[in-house]
Amino acid sequence: MNDMIGGHIVHAFNNELKQINELVLQLGEMGLDQLRRAVQSLEDEDPKAASQIIERDRAMNELDIKADEEIIRLIAKRQPVAKDLRDVLTVQKTVNDLERVGDEARKVAGLTLHFYDQDKHPPNGHMLHDIFRMAEFVEEMLHASLTAFKELDLPQALEVIRQDTELDEEYRAALRRLSTYVMEDSRNVGYMVEVTLTLRALERIGGHAKNIGGYVIFLVTGRDVRHESLAKIRTEIEAGNYLPG
Amino acid sequence: MSNSFSQGQAAVVEGVEVPVAVDKHAEIERSQTETVGEYRVADPRMTCRDVDVFYSGSQAIYNVSLDIGKNEVISMIGPSGCGKSTFLRCLNRMNDTIDGCKVAGSIQLDGRNIYDKSMDVVPLRARVGMVFQKPNPFPKTLYENVAYGPRIHGIADNKAHLDHIVETSMRKAGLWEEVKDRLDQPGTGLSGGQQQRLCIARAIAVEPEVILMDEPCSALDPIATAKIEELIDELRENYTIAIVTHSMQQAARVSQRTAYFHLGKLIEVGETDQIFTQPRHKLTEDYITGRFG
Amino acid sequence: MNNTPQTRSVKDRLEAGLAARYRRERRFRLYGMLAIGLGMLFLALLFFSILSNGLPAFQQTYMQLQVNFDPRYVDPRGNGSPESLAAGDYGGLVKAALRERFPEVSGRREKRELYSIVSTGAAYQLRDMVKADPGLVGSTTRVWVPADDELDMLLKGHTSDLIEHAGQGIVSLVEDGDEVRLLSTSNDFSNILQAVKHDLSREADKVERKRDQLQDNLQAAQQQLERIEQAIQQARDERKDDARIARMEHQREDEQFRLEDYRQKMARAKSVLDDLRRRTETPGGQEALTKELPSYLVAVDGGLVKLTAVSNTEAIGRVLMPLQSQQDAAAGSWQILEYETPESSRRLKDNALAWAWDLQRKGQLEKRFNTTFFTAGDSREPELAGIRGAVVGSFYTLVVTLLLSFPIGVSAAVYLEEYAPKNRWTDLIEVNINNLAAVPSIVFGLLGLAVFINFFGLPRSAPLVGGLVLTLMTLPTIIIASRAALKSVPPSIREAALGVGASRIQMMTHHVLPLAMPGMLTGTIIGMAQALGETAPLLMIGMVAFIVDIPGGFTDPATALPVQIYLWADSPERAFVERTSAAIIVLLGFLIIMNLLAVMLRKKFERRW
Repeated sequence: MNDMIGGHIVHAFNNELKQINELVLQLGEMGLDQLRRAVQSLEDEDPKAASQIIERDRAMNELDIKADEEIIRLIAKRQPVAKDLRDVLTVQKTVNDLERVGDEARKVAGLTLHFYDQDKHPPNGHMLHDIFRMAEFVEEMLHASLTAFKELDLPQALEVIRQDTELDEEYRAALRRLSTYVMEDSRNVGYMVEVTLTLRALERIGGHAKNIGGYVIFLVTGRDVRHESLAKIRTEIEAGNYLPG
Repeated sequence: MSNSFSQGQAAVVEGVEVPVAVDKHAEIERSQTETVGEYRVADPRMTCRDVDVFYSGSQAIYNVSLDIGKNEVISMIGPSGCGKSTFLRCLNRMNDTIDGCKVAGSIQLDGRNIYDKSMDVVPLRARVGMVFQKPNPFPKTLYENVAYGPRIHGIADNKAHLDHIVETSMRKAGLWEEVKDRLDQPGTGLSGGQQQRLCIARAIAVEPEVILMDEPCSALDPIATAKIEELIDELRENYTIAIVTHSMQQAARVSQRTAYFHLGKLIEVGETDQIFTQPRHKLTEDYITGRFG
Repeated sequence: MNNTPQTRSVKDRLEAGLAARYRRERRFRLYGMLAIGLGMLFLALLFFSILSNGLPAFQQTYMQLQVNFDPRYVDPRGNGSPESLAAGDYGGLVKAALRERFPEVSGRREKRELYSIVSTGAAYQLRDMVKADPGLVGSTTRVWVPADDELDMLLKGHTSDLIEHAGQGIVSLVEDGDEVRLLSTSNDFSNILQAVKHDLSREADKVERKRDQLQDNLQAAQQQLERIEQAIQQARDERKDDARIARMEHQREDEQFRLEDYRQKMARAKSVLDDLRRRTETPGGQEALTKELPSYLVAVDGGLVKLTAVSNTEAIGRVLMPLQSQQDAAAGSWQILEYETPESSRRLKDNALAWAWDLQRKGQLEKRFNTTFFTAGDSREPELAGIRGAVVGSFYTLVVTLLLSFPIGVSAAVYLEEYAPKNRWTDLIEVNINNLAAVPSIVFGLLGLAVFINFFGLPRSAPLVGGLVLTLMTLPTIIIASRAALKSVPPSIREAALGVGASRIQMMTHHVLPLAMPGMLTGTIIGMAQALGETAPLLMIGMVAFIVDIPGGFTDPATALPVQIYLWADSPERAFVERTSAAIIVLLGFLIIMNLLAVMLRKKFERRW
């Protein structure tokens, strides 16, 4: 990353860029952490941990605002062009997505509270099985996208985008399985809705990870690939239509 | 994993090894004489091919080829001493005034080589006008400053015609309203920005086809600069403008095409928007992002 | 902030050195002011000396004469024709008028002295009057004619210092043929006697000193003689060769002559000294007022008496100006005029003094503005000499210089600055031009003599040749100044002109030359001022002759103002001394005006880029 952001004659410029890039990583770590804890709290059936997660989301929001302030200041002061400009825009978008990740993690924690907070009858463990599976997958995706950002690793970014397709499949399979539980016992509808929403949250986190992958490709190649198909992206990269640095 | 590839590295996508493209960066660094980007335009006003410039034996411009299109603004940027001003001055043969300066290659205006022996430099400089870095109005009246050119070239038929030319030129330069009732005042009594606009009016008065501007705003304050940039935009309608500037923001604002010079070579040329968002040569990018200069 | 030992000592050192630095600066300022003061002092001395010497020259003494244009003098042919009038004896007219004015003058020598108090130019003046108005013939008119330069000097106080003693006692006089006896009730005459005796005593001291000197010389000579005698004896004893002995004997003879000479001089000095001492030491008695003593003239009863002898009680004198009566004159109504410079030391004798006194008394002698100085050419007579010829000559010379040096200088500067290629040849030319500016001007004169006069055969002493020589001299100055002026035009103007499509020549003539012109003009004016003051080269080409006529053109022989000053400086007449200074004043005036003009031009057109 230092190769990308460093090298300016004005050292302060380097430092400012480094700072906002590190904010991304910081925010990403927090997001990952929130997700893990949320899932853990569900596994541990620990509503107290879940409320802590909801508290900690505030910190993520503050960081989001701080990042935006830094970015505005940097643009006004340094008028970045070319790759510096792409870097700044990438950071902006990534921060945005990461903040949403935090929100989604909070929703997962909310499920814990919902099931285990009151003296309710918790659901069937089988229903939650898919959540844990998907959460693991999504965790991996998010982690990969952040690594791709840190290392400016194009293959890694491509991989994350590809994984999102897989995630889609998983999600649909999980929904199918859920519906069978309902058909089994119609009293499970309530739980099913909650779990569905949770699965949706996880699926959204995966979507954000895919977005971050797309941003990394934009940062490195200068091409905005948000709405292009994976195949197209692959072809374009093969053709060498990208920029150095 | 590094952020730049060398030949042979591959990416694993969907389990299939995908050959990744060659590192153009390294390639461009190796072939220093090749300009990145298309230097030709359709229907150019001036064409330059393989231009070399020597100052008393030492070379300042290496094999530069560039087209200047009709009614476009092309900006030339680059670090100090990169030869952009030298190149600009070749276009109206102002380098002739420097002892020991030799220009090789072909520079053509509407099909005729301006360095041809049969080409008279005096009418050339009327067709290719110049505005300099520091405003240099003649120490004469405002009227005389603008009227001098038409007078010596015999453009005006009579006094009324000359008056008309003076007024038109000053209007086009955005100066008329401010000075129309003090045309007999000395040109040196204006503010910096007004003086520069006077110099532009003076250049316009002889009805050039191309106007060369050598860092025209570097001695002016931001408001005067903004007025000149606005003026350049208006002038584009009728004239071709080549501007050398050390402010990249100005180049980005004002021009349609940008040429980046480095140590006497033309490194990259292309649409201004592309140069400033996605420059293709590392040297270009390093310069415009402030990584060296 | 921590004060490390390092920083403290730096600060202290700084402060310690500060006092010394200020002292040094004050000293330096003092030196500067002293230097300027010294310069100013010398300048003031110069101006004072020149002005005090020269300003009186702007006034000339004129005498009023009653001239009778007697046709016998004026119209020799008797026909009133212009040729006849031109051939008249106007000198005779002047002499007649003088005789009429001072009828008491007799004797050939005295008359000659009388005629010499009027300038020789008076005759020409009268002739011009008759020529202009032949109707004057036969009439008698009062005419103001220029007085002789000696009289002029008298009125300007250069002939002698004059002390006027008002008569303190009542004087009575007795005329006795040529002589007059005067008696005063007070000690007027005894004062004179005292003064005379004092003068004699001083004279005696001088003679005594001379005698002592002679005494020393005598002794020395005696000793020398003895030495030679001894040497001869020794030579004889040693049997030296005869030639040597003969030489020594010859020396002895010389010495003996010298000894005798000293002895005689001493005897004479002794007798003179004895006489003087006798006269001074005896109080009273009568002393003759000889030519070597100051002149004492007594103005009494409307006349003037020159004292020839004086004693304690009375004075004897000779009448110079007739007395109108022989009455006793009361105290205060008569004066003793003491002219301190003795008659033997001045040109104007006492009778001339008397005539001047009479003329002045009757308002017939006065000083007027000296227009002749500005209207006439050179002359042998100081009162008729003027600088017009020199000024006109200088003018023509400068015109030639200007017309030649300005175009050539400017063109050369333009070529060297703009068009000449920068190679070794042009460097050589530049070095040579700079050196030429330092060449002594007389060298240019030699060049002019050899080339212009001998080779090309141009007329000597002509302003044309003078102008050519001075052109050569000022060219380097003008070229250097013009080049500097051209260099000072900023290249941005040149680029702007070229950028608009002007050709090289258009750029030069439309833009650069007008801007450089003030500097060029300043250089030219300074060069002209230099040329105006040059003497040496003009001397070499012959503009040094005595030229009376005002030159009419460039090829007429002429002289220049500095040369005129040089010529007049050689003349011994006192009147020429003051005219030299006056001409210097005029020359300096021109130079100052020219330099002021240059400064004004520069100030007016100076531009700040």
